[in-house]
Amino acid sequence: MRIKLTSIMVDDQNRALKFYTEVLGFQKKRDIPVGEYKWLTVVSPEGPGDLELVLEPNANPAGKAFQKAMFEQAIPLAAFETSDLKAEFARLKALGVTFTQGPTKRGPVTIAVLSDTCGNLLQLYQPG
Amino acid sequence: MVLTRDVLARLCRARDLLCEEHAPSVREVARHVEISLFHFIRQFEAAFGVTPRQFRIGSRIQWAKRLLAVGRLSVTDVCMEVGFSSLGSFSDTFARRVGTRPSEYRRRARAMIHDSGMVPHPLEPGCLSLMALLPESGDAISEKRE
Repeated sequence: MRIKLTSIMVDDQNRALKFYTEVLGFQKKRDIPVGEYKWLTVVSPEGPGDLELVLEPNANPAGKAFQKAMFEQAIPLAAFETSDLKAEFARLKALGVTFTQGPTKRGPVTIAVLSDTCGNLLQLYQPG
Repeated sequence: MVLTRDVLARLCRARDLLCEEHAPSVREVARHVEISLFHFIRQFEAAFGVTPRQFRIGSRIQWAKRLLAVGRLSVTDVCMEVGFSSLGSFSDTFARRVGTRPSEYRRRARAMIHDSGMVPHPLEPGCLSLMALLPESGDAISEKRE
């Protein structure tokens, strides 16, 4: 058994692809039409290339309720590691990204939280 | 831009108001959450990726999709029910956002609905269920292992 896919629900797949690639810097891996939606995945250019993040259409009412509740409580739905959070924060801020928390030391990590503009908060963290 | 928890909570409240059946105007929503109209539009778009007006239209289209799929209303009735005053504008907006006209969407959706009256998964996929609808051939999910 292997961990190959993880997913995040997004309220607009086209907007999500733009944000996750052009802003966050991930790379599109698969974009396969499935009816009204698509099987859309991205990978990190820093690898591993076979661990994909599915940008899942948030069309199901149960998923929508979950995503909304988490956002309202300011709880991130995914976390991405960076080796230089301060630089990443400055880069993303310059690109117009909205943060709900700037770089803050929390226990063993420094974290920052941003909106992915598709209904989710994402946590960036730097260990150490 | 860094939004405080308080502003984030106000924007979430505004989003709820914009989803309501008889949603107030964007100006009224801004007043309700006590943010100036200029800042409200700017902060809403920064947080949610769309302007309040675009968001309200999107939520009406989502509502229309459900009504078309499982309701008994005609396309014209659905148009009125979700708050559009012109059938032409409703059809054009629906087609632009969903990729098909309302009547065609209803025909396809109803063909998928059997006895349960539930909206079928292909129309409201969730939890990776799209995977089951991918083509069987090729490397849609992962490359073949050596």
